[in-house]
This record gives sequence, C-alpha cells and structure tokens, in this order.
Amino acid sequence: MADGAGESVSSEIGQGITIAKTGEPGAFGGELLTINFGPHHPSTHGVLRLIVDLDGEQVRRLKPVIGYLHTGIEKQAEALRWQQVVVVTDRHDYLSPPINNLAYALAVERLLGVDVPPRAEALRVIMSELTRLSSHLVWLGTSGIELGASTMLMYCFRERDTILDMNEEISGFRMHTSYIRPGGVMADATPRFLEMLDRFIAKMPSNIDEYEDLLTMNPIFRSRTIGIGRLPAEDAKVLGATGPMLRGSGVAWDLRRSMPYSGYENYDFEVATSDLCDCYGRYLVRIKEMREAVKILRQALDRLPDGPVNIDDRKVLPPPREELETSMEAVIHHFKLFTEGYTVPPGDVYVAVESGRGENGCYVVSDGTHKPRRVKFRAASFVNLQPLERMAMNHMVADMVAIIGTADAVLGDVDR
Amino acid sequence: MIVDSLIVDRGVSAGDAWITVASENARDALSALKGDGYQLLVFLTCVDHLADRSRDWPARYELVYQLRNLETREQLRVRAFVDGDPPRIDSVSDLFPPANWDERETYDMFGIVFTGHPDLTRILMPDDWVGHPLRRDYPVGGEVVEFSEEHEAWRTAPEKA
Repeated sequence: MADGAGESVSSEIGQGITIAKTGEPGAFGGELLTINFGPHHPSTHGVLRLIVDLDGEQVRRLKPVIGYLHTGIEKQAEALRWQQVVVVTDRHDYLSPPINNLAYALAVERLLGVDVPPRAEALRVIMSELTRLSSHLVWLGTSGIELGASTMLMYCFRERDTILDMNEEISGFRMHTSYIRPGGVMADATPRFLEMLDRFIAKMPSNIDEYEDLLTMNPIFRSRTIGIGRLPAEDAKVLGATGPMLRGSGVAWDLRRSMPYSGYENYDFEVATSDLCDCYGRYLVRIKEMREAVKILRQALDRLPDGPVNIDDRKVLPPPREELETSMEAVIHHFKLFTEGYTVPPGDVYVAVESGRGENGCYVVSDGTHKPRRVKFRAASFVNLQPLERMAMNHMVADMVAIIGTADAVLGDVDR
Repeated sequence: MIVDSLIVDRGVSAGDAWITVASENARDALSALKGDGYQLLVFLTCVDHLADRSRDWPARYELVYQLRNLETREQLRVRAFVDGDPPRIDSVSDLFPPANWDERETYDMFGIVFTGHPDLTRILMPDDWVGHPLRRDYPVGGEVVEFSEEHEAWRTAPEKA
C-alpha cells in the first residue's frame, strides 16, 4: 500500500509542510517572520491553520494547511447502503445539512431515473432556503463578533434558533436533519411547521433591517471591510470561486438560476451581486441573499402543492407503517429494504446545488450493487479557500480575520 | 479545438456527457477543451475500480475531470484510465488553478502521482500517514487510533510515508 512498493517517487512528492526560509529581508528593514495562525484560533471558523510570512504586520505569503477535521466521510459513504449515506452527507458542511442531502438525493434519483412529486420539490426548496438563511446567520453573527460588533451574534442566533425549532418540528432533529432523501423527503410538513414558517417569513425582513442598522453604515465595520480582501472578477473565475465569493466580485452566477434544479426555475428571485469585489461587497451579497431567500420562502409556502411527498416505489422507499399489518407484500419490501437496501443501475452522475457557500456538488458512481462505489463531495469551501493568499496579500494580520470570515469556509466541508 | 483523434470513447451517463481520453493525452485534451470554452474545472477526482465486475474496465484507476463552460452552461466529463505502481498522469494545475488542491487530495487519497505538480504533498491526511485511504483495498475501520500506544508502535515502523 505504501509508495515504497513501487518505483521511487520521492523526488516528485514534497516532504510535507515547509516553513519559509528565515532571515529573508522585508521591505521595512526587518526580516520576514513566519508564524502559525491557528489551527485553534477562534476567528478561523473551525480548525484552519495558516502559515503566514509577515513583513512587519503585512502578509507576504500565506499557505493554508487543512485536514484537521478530516473524518473520512467519502470512505464511510462507500461502506454504507444507498439510503444510509444521507446521514453522512449531513455532516460534512454542518451548517447546511438539507442542501447536502439535496445534492446527494438528486444524484441518486438521476441514476435511478425517478422524479419526485411536486410537493416534495417545494418542501425541498423550503428547507434549502431556511438552511441558507441559518448558514448566513451564523456567518453574519460570527463575522460581526470578529469585527467588533458583538451584538450581531445575539441577534443572529435568535433567528437561527427559530429555524432550528422549525427543523425539529419537521424532521425531529435540530441540526443534522437527514430530511431530504432519495425518493422524496422524510415526512410531510406538519400544520404547526407551516404556521411557524408563516410567522417567521412575516418577521424576518424586519430582522434583516435590524442587522443592516447595526452594520451597513457602521463606520468601524466599513473601515474594516471596504477595500479589504479584493478579489477581481477575473481572478475569482480563474481560481474557481463560487457562491457569494464569486457574486461579491460582480459575476451573476447562481446555480439556482444558471442551472436550475428542484423547480427553482419557477420562483421569482434576484441573483445578488456586488461590484465592490471586497469583504464589504461579499457582506452586501449575503444580506441581499437573505432577503431573496425570504421571498422564495413566501412563494413556496403560498404555492405549496398538495399530494404525496415521496415517490410511489416500494423498491426504493419503505411502505407506510399501516400496511405492514395487512399486507405480506409490504412486509417483504420492508424486510428487503432494511436488510439489503436497494440497488442503483451502474453509471455515474454529477449534481451541483447552490449552498450558502457556493457550488455544493455530489459525484456518485454506482457499480450496480446496494452500496455506492464512490461518492465525491465537491465542497464549495475547499475551492473557496484557495484564493485566500490572493486576497490576503499585503494586508495586515488583523485584516486576515475579515478575509477568512467573508470566505465563509466551513472546515468540516473543507476536510470532509 | 479538441481533435477527434484524442477521444477514445464518448457517451452519456444519466444525462451527463462524457468522453474518454488516453491517460498520456489527458493534459493535451484538457488544454484543447479549455480553448473550446470549458474554462472551469469543477472538480477532479479518482474512482478505484478494483474488483468491480459490473463493466470491463481498461484499468484500475479512473481519473475524472468535470469541466464547465460558463457561457453556454454545458458540462463535460473527461475520463482517463491509469494503472501502474504508482499510477501517474500529467498535472493540469497550471491550466486550471483549482486543480492544485484537487490533485493533492487525489494523491493523498488514491496515491495517483501527478507529474509536474508544484507541491504534491498530502493535504487531508497527516504528512506521516501510510497508505492511501480511499483505495478499495484500504480497510474501513482497520486503522489504528491516532495518539494511542499502538499508533506509536505502528508509525515508527516504515521509513517514510
């Protein structure tokens, strides 16, 4: 298994993390200083380690070191049956579980060649947008606290808690919902959920106004973000950035609009962009996205179709509990599904969805058995971390905090 | 323009268009496709076909490059099959900057050596890790718990990763 078994490749493979040469002269008469930023630093939003070469207080080189949160999710997925993988998809980007579920569910459905009923599609949109809101709220709260506005965290977590209450109402779980699964969703929305959602939608716009009151014209926040971490549109595209990182550079690329899935083409919303290309631009994009998410939620709730929330295929989804007492067929299907699972026709498929952080994709390969051959998560945070050096170059150490913040990487997603 | 002679096979899988190229031509093909407007490398990964009898695979490792044209919104998947110990393929990290980390991850997880990569090191696993975890012959649950006594004994055995 080790490389030593074959020919020697040591000349091509690096020897791991290298610290920059010491004693290199800086521009201010001193020497470059190499420091570790993280991994256990509160502003890295997880365990991100940056090796930074400092000239005085300015960043001259930056190398992200990741992997501290690697949990082998892709390996685990290969050892689980198709329907069990949903549970691990929850856990890579732990701030947007339903969106991860959706990418996986759509991929498996494409391989199976099934379409879910309209009510399931609408519920998936509702859960996706609620998740986008809660993920942006965590970003806004933590970014606020890093940049000197500690009230933001209290405000944002107040609304996030309402969203988690709704998660609990619809799925039984507050964070790792496993709500969206191949073939439909876990359960229909309860009347209480719809009431909670209605109240939430009515209240949320005024809450977003509150956040804006605190930050948008706040002189401290503006001076910490305007002109900081510039990422021009061309660079953002070349470096593969997606989501608010790309839209904050003025590129109107949103998968919900550009390559619609789960019925997003039927909703009326604007793609938020900003030409500022800096941290403040990315802040404006996320605020605007929260407002658009509320708009989508309103449309989805008003037009929520009636009907089933799962496909009617006993080979993929278990029969209703009542049938087990009267139908031998149902018992057999139930037994088969929970012992062996279902098989998926051989093939591979890639499905991308827009999460709060950007393109969250799922590449699934089936070899025709009851377990996936390969599940690859295209993590938005993983790709969005690579422009970090470009953005932080020649900025102060303190500005790095703002830049890491607006990159909005979830380290669970980076390391999977 | 990508020339037809580079393409070994083509098809559609569950609605996704794909082409297969010979592994030694993969870099040329991707470079030509980039010229055709496929500017974004969405992801790059590998699939290990060890003991997969659902189809007749030309080699054990399949490199998968997902490309996207941001103007026309077309997507194309490029496959290249490699074998060998270690399996090798040319790096495309200079053509597509996001491939830099993806190639490091694929090296880390599958042991594919990307010739010409500027800094081919492990990215997710620790630097002194032995083996490539996403290979199908790497056991699930068989690894030693890190920082345990067994781990100390185990990690001192090999000369280098």
